[in-house]
Amino acid sequence: MIMQGLPNSTVVISTLSDETNLIGTASTREIVTFFILLIIAYIVGLILAHYFKLKLSHRLKPDQLALLTRFVRVFLILLVFVFSLPGFFDLSVTIFALILVALIAIIGISSQKVISNMVGGLAMLYENPFKTGDFISTGEVSGTVISTRLFSVLIRTTSGVHVQIPNDQIYSSDVSNFFAHVARRYDYVVGIRYEDDVKKTTSIIAGILKEYTFVLANPAPDVFVSDIDADSVRVMFRVWFPSVWAKTKDDISLQTAILPRVKAALEAEGIEMPYAHREILFTNPIGDQSGTGTTQNRDNFFGKLE
Amino acid sequence: MFGRYERDLVYADPEVNLRIDQAGTIPVYIRECNGTRIEKYLGTDYDAIHICPVEPVNLPQEITHHLEIAFPTLVLPPAAQKTIYLKFPVEIGVFFEFRHEMSVLDIFSLVPTKFSLYGPPSNGVITRWYQSALFHKIPETELHREGALELSLVNHCTETVEVTRAVFDSHHMNLFYGDRVGMTGTMEILSPLIALTTFAPTAPAGCPNKSIDLYTSRKFAVGPGKGYMMESGMA
Repeated sequence: MIMQGLPNSTVVISTLSDETNLIGTASTREIVTFFILLIIAYIVGLILAHYFKLKLSHRLKPDQLALLTRFVRVFLILLVFVFSLPGFFDLSVTIFALILVALIAIIGISSQKVISNMVGGLAMLYENPFKTGDFISTGEVSGTVISTRLFSVLIRTTSGVHVQIPNDQIYSSDVSNFFAHVARRYDYVVGIRYEDDVKKTTSIIAGILKEYTFVLANPAPDVFVSDIDADSVRVMFRVWFPSVWAKTKDDISLQTAILPRVKAALEAEGIEMPYAHREILFTNPIGDQSGTGTTQNRDNFFGKLE
Repeated sequence: MFGRYERDLVYADPEVNLRIDQAGTIPVYIRECNGTRIEKYLGTDYDAIHICPVEPVNLPQEITHHLEIAFPTLVLPPAAQKTIYLKFPVEIGVFFEFRHEMSVLDIFSLVPTKFSLYGPPSNGVITRWYQSALFHKIPETELHREGALELSLVNHCTETVEVTRAVFDSHHMNLFYGDRVGMTGTMEILSPLIALTTFAPTAPAGCPNKSIDLYTSRKFAVGPGKGYMMESGMA
């Protein structure tokens, strides 16, 4: 009705405007506004991420902070899409949401592996089996978790190799987290000769463990004879230490710190770690008709070999 | 050793040697102690050097902020109150002051460090561990090695309890020094397995100077927030 009263020139402009629609019924102005809103949402997201980093970095773990900032940034961008795009096609927000769901379903079916990784990632975020900085072992890989992402986990091995493992692979396999508990136990075995004093040996080792800073006072270390094998008496000692200190699966800090001290202290007290040895007695000795396999006969044998 | 040094720092005893030299225009802090020598170049000018005891949870590296003192068994019947004295290890902090701002320059100790686990490995805490005798009066201490803790225990529960250790959170410590290093603490036994340990902000006798706090408690604490709740027993 209003158009009836307008001059012909207005009708022409209206027709031109319809022809310049780029997406659905959206005018150039609406599209430009959409992109400006997108840029604003992106910038606001960056500012909020920076603000969260300043204010919450001491309260949240790095991966939680990264997840929060990522969530806020994605949410802001989605908001722009949800409130701008339906206007382009003369659609209500509800219908647009339905279309979005249908699209997601189609993409999901066509990329099951990706979705599987994403679900694995979400499950891990919920169950929280490890966090950034933890040392974990899964399958053939052991290393420090660098970051937990939506589709994969990044790990740096002790040899410095960067490994990316899909989330569904981690979620469906055994994961050992060496940092999950505040303390961990490590076992050592040292062999001594049969003739060495076991009581003295355990006392020397217990003394070293008592003095060493990172061996926990409680639970106290255990030192005991664990086995008597063909070559030696095996003395085992089990020590607890703070998980954050060793930092690796093989507890290299404990090995380098404890074992050289134990060896030096035992040797200083005349206790030695034996070589594997065998004593061979000959029932039919070489060059001897008496039939008794004596040490002299054995020495004669080795003398002849030389 | 403890106190404020205006500009020039020179301290020497048979165990520790502290000084500030000049490398051209750059001040160099030097510490010789326990057979080791530490040198640190100061990237700024300074107005004074402060040396005082700090919370003993920093060495050899920051692993925990809990201090555990183990002592001989003390039996406390219901409603009993008892004040005992314990020794704790001293760590020495060196700070430099510049435009009224304090910065940590060095932390060292003359006492060997030992750690322990309080509670189970799954949800316990690592503690800086120290074995002390139990005293009925303020014990004699070596100023640079040990401090004296006045600990008041109150048994609020209806059973007799045995106490052999006290675990504290260093964020709540109030350290004082003077002729000796001292703290005043309390331990409220709420059940045979639970106790709350706190520190009083009052200076013990002979310790008029307040140490510089490395750790401060949260301003907006949720819950009690004034001490450490020992939930894994006291023995």
